Amino acid sequence: MSLLEVEDLKITYSTSEVDVHAVNGVSFEIDDGSNYGLVGESGCGKSTVAHSVLGLLDDNGNVEAGSIKFDGRELLDCSEQEWQEIRWEEIAYIPQSAMDSLDPVMSVGAQIRQAMHKHRDVTKAEANERVEEVFDIVGLDPSRTEEYPHQFSGGMRQRVTIAMALVLDPDLIIADEPTTGLDVIVQDKIVHKLLEIQEEIDSSMLLITHDMGVIAETCDDVSVLYGGKVMEQGSTDDVLKNPTNPYTMGLKNSFPDIEEFDSQAVSIPGSLPDLTREPTSCVFSNRCPFATEECEREHPALREVENQQSACYHVDRVEELREEAVDPETWGLDPVDQGGREAGDVILETEGLTKWFEQGQSIVDQLMGREKDYVKAVNGVDLTVRENEIVGVAGESGCGKSTLGEVIAALQTHTDGEIRFRGTPVEELLSGDSKEFRSKVQFIFQDPFDSLNPRQKVRAAVSEPLKIQGVEGDEITERVRQTLADVGLSPVDKYIDSFPHQLSGGERQRVAIARALVLDPELLICDEPASMLDVSLKASILNILREMATERDMGIVYISHDLASLSQITDRLAVMYLGQVIEVGKTREIVTGPRHPYTASLLAASPNVDPAVDRTRVLLPGEPPNPVNLPEGCNFAPRCPKATEECRESEPERAAWVDEGHEAACYFPVDDVQAELLDRYEGATDAAGTTGEELPQEQGSSAP
Amino acid sequence: MSTLNMDTDTAKDRLGDLWKRSRRTALFVLEDNAAKLGVAILAAFTFLGIFGPELAPYEPIEHTMRTEDGGIMRMSEPNDAAPLGTTTYGKDVLSQFLEGARPTFIVGFFGGIGTGIIGFLVGLVSGYFGGRVDEALMRLTDLTFSLPFLPMALLVLTFVTPSIALITAVIVAFFWKMPARVIRSEVLTVKERTFVKSARASGAGHFRTMFLHVAPNVLGIGFLYTAYAVAWAIAGQASLAFLGFGDPTTTSWGRMLRQVFASGGMREAWWWVFPPAIGIAAVTTAVFLVGRAFEEVVNPELRGDE
Amino acid sequence: MTFRRFLIKRIVIAFLLTLVSVSIIFVTLRALPGTPFSSLVASGGLSGEQVAELEAQYGLNEPIYVQYVKYIQSLLTLNFGYSIAESRPVSAIIYPRLLNTLVLLVPALITTAIVSSIAGLYAGWNRGSAFEQGSIVVTTFFRSTPVFVTGIFLLVIFAYQLGIFPAFGMRSPLDNPQGAIETYFAVDFAKHYFLPFVATVLYYSGDFLLLARNSVIERKGSAFLTLHRAKGLTEREQLARAGRNSMLPLVTYFALRMGMLFQGVITLEVVFAWPGIGRTLVQAINQQDYPTVQAAVFIMALAVIVMNLLADVMYAKIDPTVEEGDL
Repeated sequence: MSLLEVEDLKITYSTSEVDVHAVNGVSFEIDDGSNYGLVGESGCGKSTVAHSVLGLLDDNGNVEAGSIKFDGRELLDCSEQEWQEIRWEEIAYIPQSAMDSLDPVMSVGAQIRQAMHKHRDVTKAEANERVEEVFDIVGLDPSRTEEYPHQFSGGMRQRVTIAMALVLDPDLIIADEPTTGLDVIVQDKIVHKLLEIQEEIDSSMLLITHDMGVIAETCDDVSVLYGGKVMEQGSTDDVLKNPTNPYTMGLKNSFPDIEEFDSQAVSIPGSLPDLTREPTSCVFSNRCPFATEECEREHPALREVENQQSACYHVDRVEELREEAVDPETWGLDPVDQGGREAGDVILETEGLTKWFEQGQSIVDQLMGREKDYVKAVNGVDLTVRENEIVGVAGESGCGKSTLGEVIAALQTHTDGEIRFRGTPVEELLSGDSKEFRSKVQFIFQDPFDSLNPRQKVRAAVSEPLKIQGVEGDEITERVRQTLADVGLSPVDKYIDSFPHQLSGGERQRVAIARALVLDPELLICDEPASMLDVSLKASILNILREMATERDMGIVYISHDLASLSQITDRLAVMYLGQVIEVGKTREIVTGPRHPYTASLLAASPNVDPAVDRTRVLLPGEPPNPVNLPEGCNFAPRCPKATEECRESEPERAAWVDEGHEAACYFPVDDVQAELLDRYEGATDAAGTTGEELPQEQGSSAP
Repeated sequence: MSTLNMDTDTAKDRLGDLWKRSRRTALFVLEDNAAKLGVAILAAFTFLGIFGPELAPYEPIEHTMRTEDGGIMRMSEPNDAAPLGTTTYGKDVLSQFLEGARPTFIVGFFGGIGTGIIGFLVGLVSGYFGGRVDEALMRLTDLTFSLPFLPMALLVLTFVTPSIALITAVIVAFFWKMPARVIRSEVLTVKERTFVKSARASGAGHFRTMFLHVAPNVLGIGFLYTAYAVAWAIAGQASLAFLGFGDPTTTSWGRMLRQVFASGGMREAWWWVFPPAIGIAAVTTAVFLVGRAFEEVVNPELRGDE
Repeated sequence: MTFRRFLIKRIVIAFLLTLVSVSIIFVTLRALPGTPFSSLVASGGLSGEQVAELEAQYGLNEPIYVQYVKYIQSLLTLNFGYSIAESRPVSAIIYPRLLNTLVLLVPALITTAIVSSIAGLYAGWNRGSAFEQGSIVVTTFFRSTPVFVTGIFLLVIFAYQLGIFPAFGMRSPLDNPQGAIETYFAVDFAKHYFLPFVATVLYYSGDFLLLARNSVIERKGSAFLTLHRAKGLTEREQLARAGRNSMLPLVTYFALRMGMLFQGVITLEVVFAWPGIGRTLVQAINQQDYPTVQAAVFIMALAVIVMNLLADVMYAKIDPTVEEGDL
């Protein structure tokens, strides 16, 4: 008998107007001591399934049919009181966003103790002891149990929730996107911890995520969900290596591998199925390139193919589909010639660019002439962008990459250094009429859901920049329509009179791109333009940008934390750590031969979609230090296994190591990543047990 | 100024959008039963405010009601001649009530709108520009918070003969701070939203950004506080009048209460007390009932789980 | 910024605010036509010479800046001068009245803050219930109706029509209690106390109820409550956590309300003839007794400023998420 058996589960959400069929007959089983993954994009019903197993559905969610058996016991028949006994004692939960899942006005220790007192008859001392124990297990300093959530960084808060889940040794842990929103190195450490712990206490885990890479590295079995249906089910090795369902193929191929420069990622065209009715055809048929008439009949049942099960009518042609699914053209993406671009004249040049934010400037302090503290968000950056070139800026959150982008675009002033646009200092261009500069430098923001004014129609949004520039009537209309068509919003008439809330995330981001491109800018700055979109949409946004760079001779600065998209789209790459560029060069050279230990760690931490690859986790100790009090010498030295006295005393120049335009700010550049870094990290972690005292730990929320 | 060239397209879009939104909002608000009652009361009040004095059967101050034997009809319970009874001085309560609706309405309407507009503008400018402008404006609101409304208004009105216009002005001068604070904090959130940055990035000036991108997104809260300000203005005016600082030339509901209180008529003449008291209570409550239902629409945090 | 520096900054601001407020009161009083005594001449009560003498006595014939400095000095040392109408020190008039006001308002505010907040938490948790709808409509009525109108309703119904409670003052006219205990702990006092107390409680109930309700609703869908629920906490325990998280706005609001108490109930004191500071102010204005007016307005302004300061400080102290650096 399996630990958890979910059978033909159907869940709807009732809203004032319609019912949304979020889960439409999902079945799966989790065995004792195994890891089970539910993977899918937003709206596929994966979180709803997770919540129903804990009886945590929102008030308007109803289980219409099916059964959830835990240890042979039917959970759906439980009374609220019985639920309360099962929760945490037997099934624990690691929530999606650790940032706001902890009670802000209760110390973390008290929150964990509360779970124990609820279920066990323990004294406060016993509870305390146990809390310290689990803190130690998850790698947190046991002396910090009485601190409040806001005193921990995002990664550490996630560790707190994991500690909380462990405290009663549950049989099943449900982890709902436990690493979403964390930086890649932190994510790697959390995944490592989860697996390590789980092995120790021998519980099962239900992991919910949108990230194929995380599933590949953690789960034994997996169900791929789409539109509230299981599309494919089987062992992770089989499903991810040899997908048999077109949706799985598309999803897998939209995760590019960092080092595969030649294969292009795919994106799945179209949008989510309408779930206000129970599906009457294959839920994926409206986006599936292989759909036939047959697929319109009804949603196919799961059937055995190879070693797994797939809900598809075309299981007999699996091999053929698999081959075709790799080709972006199958998914309606035009192939883009990647290597053929020649960079032209220099558009943008920064020299020693610096942006410091003052902290706590009060009148009294000013009067008393006290010295101010500064957050050194950007700290001496030299960067060059040429025509027809895409320059990537990579780094973890808080490294100053977004600030750099906004400063270059003159959305924020800079503290020191120089920005030259086509050889002229930006101050000069901005003094007097800044219109011309604004028409040449455009910006695309991260959040497509927020970057359009909700009260403006697409037409008004895209024509606004033209109006500001004083372009007249007919020309506006013409250029707006042309640009909308260019970014793939066709037929234009369908979109031009829509309000943002009537568009999907991908469509909105296209409108935002159109708004930026309508003025034919010479320089485009993109701040994580695809990071909030579902993976299956990312590739098409990258495609548009790439096309535009080639067609319009633009220079593009592409800021992102996602190394895979960076390696796909950029020609050159600058890696930032704590406000400084620590390595810069041709993307291909950096990705294949990183020289700075930080770059190397970052690259090594990206999860791999192929479950067969056995990767050493990057257990880089500590977290980036507070950008107010930067260490002496090299910023990375406190965390670097190769650091010497020299590194701690004097700061390496950016060109400390040079090889034909590839520069790294390091005295001892890396040759063998495995031996010089990863093995040593592991050794350091084993020795220290917890995050070492002397290592910089981020104390509060990250810098502004 | 090129930043101001709101073309006809945009204007049409905006108005159309505004109209649709108001309709949707109105329909949503009217789903609430209490709000329905509120709307009905406000409609009646507006009607009285405009036509009340014309409907009054007698001149409320000049005309003295007389009994059949020719004596002054003092403190008479409701009867056929005076359906709501009479005052100590033999005046018709109904006529005073109808006449008194107008000044109450005028002060409420203009006081509310003035408060709303000034508060909205101060909040918008303060929140949008931040920095020293914000610091100065917010200290100014702190200051008006620490100068209590009633005592200060009483002081001013001691020396200057109160008139409806003056009372409205005093009310606006003391109440603009409330919407200003709320609007400011709302603007602070909207200002951080990406589309505002995006507008700046595409070259929009401050004026355009502030009025085309920020203002429309805080308009709902602005309307809400304008509505509340109507109730505050009515309450403020009634309080002043009750303390004897109303416009001495007109009859208002607050002044009626003043007279019944000062003359000691409260002891028995419930018919003289209740019309103005219920009038004031009903109108202010109605504004808040409608406002609260409206708040459920504009306050995103309350809307969340619907 | 450390807590100490934050505190110093706040205190400096509060002090400056006080200074500006009293200056405005001064300017308002002096900029208005005539001196307090000119009306006495007009009414024939005093001769011109007597007025000049009085003005000299009150320092009104000195240059305006000297008057201003003296005025500030004396206010800041809480020396309010002599009442013109009653010819005794203003402090002797004001302080007992202030005490009467506090005796009425502080218990009323505390009562309503506790009762209405709890009701509000419950209403927010059970959103859409009859209790929620009903409590909102009822408290909205009392919160939006001017407090003196509510007072008049209570007075007409319970004092005049039903005759259950006395209508006027703080004690029966014939009583002459000595000392605080006899004054405030007597059945007669309690009877007089009841109606104004109820009016105040009702008037402020709506604010606390709505505030508590709204903050519970904001938190109800929050991720941390889901986690509490997942831990197996009962409904009531979850509500307690939601309540704890809503404490901050409530406590802050309580402090602010406390500061504005005096001005809010001037009309109420007049209606019930409660011998408090608000009624004294109105009387003083009618008698053109400027020293008393100044003192009463000053105390009211000071209360707001001090309680605002207190609210800020409490906010910083209660909320663990306000970091020292954010202050």
